[in-house]
Amino acid sequence: MDTASHLSVILDLSPTQWHLSSLPSNTHPLSVASFLSQLLAFLNSHVAIKHENSLAVFGALPGKSVMLYASTETGSESTELADSNTYLPFKLVDATVVERIMDELDALGDPEEEEPIALVGALTKSLCYINRVMSPSTSSAPGGGTSEDQTTLTDPRILILSVSPDLSTSYIPIMNSIFSAQKLKVTIDVCKVYGEDTVFLQQAAHLTGGSYIYLERRDALLQYLIMSNLPPPPLRLLLSVPTQDKIDFRAACFCHKNIIDVGFVCSVCLSIFCQPIPVCSTCRTKFPMKTLRRLNEAMPPGARNPAGTPSRATPAPTASGRGTPAPGGPGRGAPVPSGSGRGTPTPGGPGRGGSNGSSRPPGGSSITAGLANNLR
Amino acid sequence: MSSTKAAKGRDAKTPAEHVPHPLLPFLQSQSQNTLTRLYQRPSACLSIFRLLGPLERQLVMNLLWLESAIPSLTMAAWVTPEGKILYDSSLLVLSRLHIVTNLLNPATKQSPKLNLNTTFKTSFRQAITGGGTSGSFGVPAAKDDKHPSSGVEALDAFAVERWETILHYMVSSGTGQVLAKPSAGVLYLLQRSRLMATSHGSALQITSAGFQFLLHSPHDQLWQLLLQYLHMAEERQMDLVEVLSFLFMLSTMDLGRVRNCNVEYSAESLSDTQKAMLEDLRDYGLIWQRKASSRRFSPTRLSTTLTSSLPPLPTSASTGTGTQDQGFIVLETNYRLYAYTDNPLQTAVLNLFAALKYRFQNLVVGAVTRDSVRKALANGITADQIISYLAAHAHPQMRKNNPLIPVTVQDQIRLWELERNRLKSEEGYLYTAFASQADYEYVLNYAKQLGVVVWESPAKRCFFGSLEGHANIRGFIERRTGGGGGG
Amino acid sequence: MPPRRISDVNYMDVDSDSDVSIVDDDDFGGRNKKGKGKATDKKKKDKGKSKAKEQPYAWEASYTRSWDTVQEDEAGSLQTAVADLMARSRRRRLLAPSGAIRRTIIRHLILILDLSSSMLDRDMRPNRFDLTLEYAREFIVEWFDQNPLGQIGVVGMRSGLGERLGEMSGSPQDVLKSISERHKIEPAGEPSLQNAIEMARSSMSHLPTHSSRELLIIYGSLTTVDPGNIHETLASCIKDKIRVSIVSLAAEMKICREFSDKTGGQFGVAMNEGHYKDLLFELIPPPFLRSTTTTTSSSTKQTTSIPADLMLMGFPTRLPPTSAPALCVCHSALKSEGFLCPRCGAKVCDVPTDCDICGLMIVSSPHLARSYHHLFPVKGYIAVTTLQDSPPPSQNCHACARPFPPPITSTISEGMSPLSRYKCPDCNNDFCTECDVFVHEVVHCCPGCGK
Repeated sequence: MDTASHLSVILDLSPTQWHLSSLPSNTHPLSVASFLSQLLAFLNSHVAIKHENSLAVFGALPGKSVMLYASTETGSESTELADSNTYLPFKLVDATVVERIMDELDALGDPEEEEPIALVGALTKSLCYINRVMSPSTSSAPGGGTSEDQTTLTDPRILILSVSPDLSTSYIPIMNSIFSAQKLKVTIDVCKVYGEDTVFLQQAAHLTGGSYIYLERRDALLQYLIMSNLPPPPLRLLLSVPTQDKIDFRAACFCHKNIIDVGFVCSVCLSIFCQPIPVCSTCRTKFPMKTLRRLNEAMPPGARNPAGTPSRATPAPTASGRGTPAPGGPGRGAPVPSGSGRGTPTPGGPGRGGSNGSSRPPGGSSITAGLANNLR
Repeated sequence: MSSTKAAKGRDAKTPAEHVPHPLLPFLQSQSQNTLTRLYQRPSACLSIFRLLGPLERQLVMNLLWLESAIPSLTMAAWVTPEGKILYDSSLLVLSRLHIVTNLLNPATKQSPKLNLNTTFKTSFRQAITGGGTSGSFGVPAAKDDKHPSSGVEALDAFAVERWETILHYMVSSGTGQVLAKPSAGVLYLLQRSRLMATSHGSALQITSAGFQFLLHSPHDQLWQLLLQYLHMAEERQMDLVEVLSFLFMLSTMDLGRVRNCNVEYSAESLSDTQKAMLEDLRDYGLIWQRKASSRRFSPTRLSTTLTSSLPPLPTSASTGTGTQDQGFIVLETNYRLYAYTDNPLQTAVLNLFAALKYRFQNLVVGAVTRDSVRKALANGITADQIISYLAAHAHPQMRKNNPLIPVTVQDQIRLWELERNRLKSEEGYLYTAFASQADYEYVLNYAKQLGVVVWESPAKRCFFGSLEGHANIRGFIERRTGGGGGG
Repeated sequence: MPPRRISDVNYMDVDSDSDVSIVDDDDFGGRNKKGKGKATDKKKKDKGKSKAKEQPYAWEASYTRSWDTVQEDEAGSLQTAVADLMARSRRRRLLAPSGAIRRTIIRHLILILDLSSSMLDRDMRPNRFDLTLEYAREFIVEWFDQNPLGQIGVVGMRSGLGERLGEMSGSPQDVLKSISERHKIEPAGEPSLQNAIEMARSSMSHLPTHSSRELLIIYGSLTTVDPGNIHETLASCIKDKIRVSIVSLAAEMKICREFSDKTGGQFGVAMNEGHYKDLLFELIPPPFLRSTTTTTSSSTKQTTSIPADLMLMGFPTRLPPTSAPALCVCHSALKSEGFLCPRCGAKVCDVPTDCDICGLMIVSSPHLARSYHHLFPVKGYIAVTTLQDSPPPSQNCHACARPFPPPITSTISEGMSPLSRYKCPDCNNDFCTECDVFVHEVVHCCPGCGK
């Protein structure tokens, strides 16, 4: 049905990554400024789609996460915003978001070493926000807002615009967030604007039924966003959006970070090892000799390695590309540049059904490495 | 909504269940020239965009930022097989509105290409990004320190008062009560739209269309009247583009975004047609002005929610506490009806199809009876309308029930409606006095082959044929009598 | 624990003694439980009498208890009662140790349902049997959600026999199917505790030591007809380290109490529908690992060791929906989606599972990740009672950015903050009540510190 939908956007605002992204050495350099202008057009489009659509914007900054804008919270001093040429809600979104981002970036200062991006904080905050707004709150918050806020949100979804690489220490929190998003029936869309694919976010999109796009042509950001992230979930039954076809859920061992097919798992802390060991390196649990002997025998002969160096498990099926909107797959039109630098439509092949997904060597190594760090 | 549609909805719960907005057919009937002039205003583009169906909106968005036309095959590749039908119909709607141009070049025999109407594209981009000099979102008036602008509550109260005056006038017109009359313009509009009519020179009486109108949601009611207004504007030689764009401008204006401090807009920049409209719209409660000659105006909630489809006007439910927004009717399986309302209009509307028994400060008790429903049916209200009204205004307490309206009551109301349809009249001819059984059967068989037999009685040797079959049957009999000399 | 709706009035304010049993103090817990058991009995009796006297019709009895336990405050609102419920869950959370703890992640549970005629009693609505089925379904779903690597089997007690209703399985669908056909498990006859436990025990005997062996018995009857000495069964359960938890629907039986006390399980008598559900759902979070000292008769060799082991697990290759269809080994159906066993290459429909061909345990990494929050719980937030601390506190909740409500002046229960503020001990951010519950029960990750 034609119902209102809620969108929470999480912006990855890592100064370093954005600097790298704007370097002219990139095929398609993208600066924060041009990113923001395309983003604002996208946000406005979401607001334009329906009068009742709600929007929230979160920023993930180094070591800090903030809420930049929420349509349920009315702005304070915006009387002077009225303008005959602009729809007021648009203006409100744009002004607030830009202003807050600038404030936050200025406040960052110039530290020697940049702290890691607080993506987890932003993600959990947006989940808390959705949870809070979705369930008409109990009377404990009487001054919570105007009556308009109390309309329950339908089809909430989160869009993560990511530029930073995976942070291995955040594996567990991200997975926890994904599972709670599943419980809240929140769809997580991911758009990787700059940098390598992130395996965590691929899993987030996959497990919540969202779309994951790797931005091939960064100058066509807006078009990518509109085609794949604007349709609310009910509409996605009719218009396909790119999804991941193959996500590797294999893991890497804690001891050598090898991707493994068959591993040995500690029953207490679930650490993964590529060969039988007598003592769990994570939780110091001793394993009985009997099982060690049995497992050693059960190991495939080729894989057994007396020297203690790990045997390379069968290599992952070689990867040919990345995420979905990658060029070259059958039935896929690569974006064609056009006069103004905006991409022509990139019907990047309906993600479902096309044989365009390609497997990637899983970043499992980082996953489990993160876990190991957490355990120690 | 007909029952077949409802059945379809159960099969495939897709966004397909979008009932096109009543304004769209009207717009489609306009000439391309008119529409293009309308599309010059960003606010109009935004409003029309919002009136479209979900898939149509997405298609417009997909095309909005493209510089060149794209082959429709490329666009169709995005559509899942289930969405194919809806996609085609969406494209049709868009091209009828001249928003999408479907370039088909027969010479090159290439696949057709899709593009947005250039004017629409430019204006809508401007609407999204802001800027430009169109001033189509209304020029805010300079702050007036002498008259602090009124609060949103005051505006709401004003809009409700105006709107309910109209409805109340309609509902009570039959009862002979004398109530505050809406202005002459409104009365004329009601009469024009055949919601009310004068029967042989007497006062205005509500018609069956009027009764149906009362049970619609406020949003539908508003648009129904506005559509009529548009038709009327055409006849009054008003510039339709001006009228429409003013309505759309109102719908994109701001109401109390800044808390309780309403923005007033200046009437200076309006065209003459639009200034003339101010008075009409004030009568409907769409805008508020301090005095008739004022050079500034404020939109009310009625107008700012014109393009939002879901929550009907939050103010129109009640004059008292705001709890009625969620509904106020409790209907029990024993046909008893409790309405928590102090609103005379709502009571009057309930009175259309329920027998009211007691009336308290904030509660009206009644029952749905055979007589009361038959009275409503006689007024032209249908059973479905009654049921949907009850469902739309059900008390939150009732919303826990599944189904919402007790099945017994639903069925009974439908049965009462069917009672009225036990007799069906059909024009036709009765064929009697056949000379022999053989003659009778011969003609009857012929008529059956034609499929025009409505009723037959071999014992009485007669049958009844429908009107359209008469010529054939007569010809057949004449041929027979002519040939055989009998019958 | 699922995020429980606070508005659920049925979820009643019962004596929270049972929470205490989490603390590893058998003596203390035992004493408390006994007290409660008696109290329960008495209450039951009273209720029976009054029912006979005052309620001539069964349907009039149906709502007697729902408001007894919820008290309105002076203003006539249920706010305080609701707050009480929240305070209780907060206290429970604070009792749980924070930091890395050891729990049994790989669980094996056999659910033993009483299918004797006593289950047709109508003291719980609509009757014990239907309510049990309903709760069992919810229990199974929630249990698999929190224990993705666990397995459940179902056994019924009917006509003096134990009946195997469902084999041990790791798929919620399979388990739910085993109790879905109501007409096949219509209650009849007398139950036999011994037969059912022996049947469950035999099907668990092959399990490895590192996984838990648990029985959950839902017992409605007050008698048991056994072919032999049930105390021998108890002894063998202790020997096999089977944990027996019992939820009784009628009253406490000596043998049931003995079973759960001696095997380290939990025992409870359901006082009403809400309490019944509570008792069941308390058993969902993975239990703490006990060192084997608690069981008296076990050998001294194992006193210090935790039953731990190294498990062989396979991480399958996921086939995309576009791959060529092939037959799966579990249903022999032609499907294109599926997972390939890394050892033998067999195709299975769903993970986690044991490969039907080579017996390898197949999991995917998210399944392992789903259990991690049990191992690394979020620290409990501290209720803020005054705003004296510097620096000036923020006006909005750190998570949802809603302003905090004005301070509550009425009395509030222990563990709740009058300012509705809860502070994370690590990052010193304040959170509102809703977010506090949400963070600890659903997200398991603090929005402030990201841990």
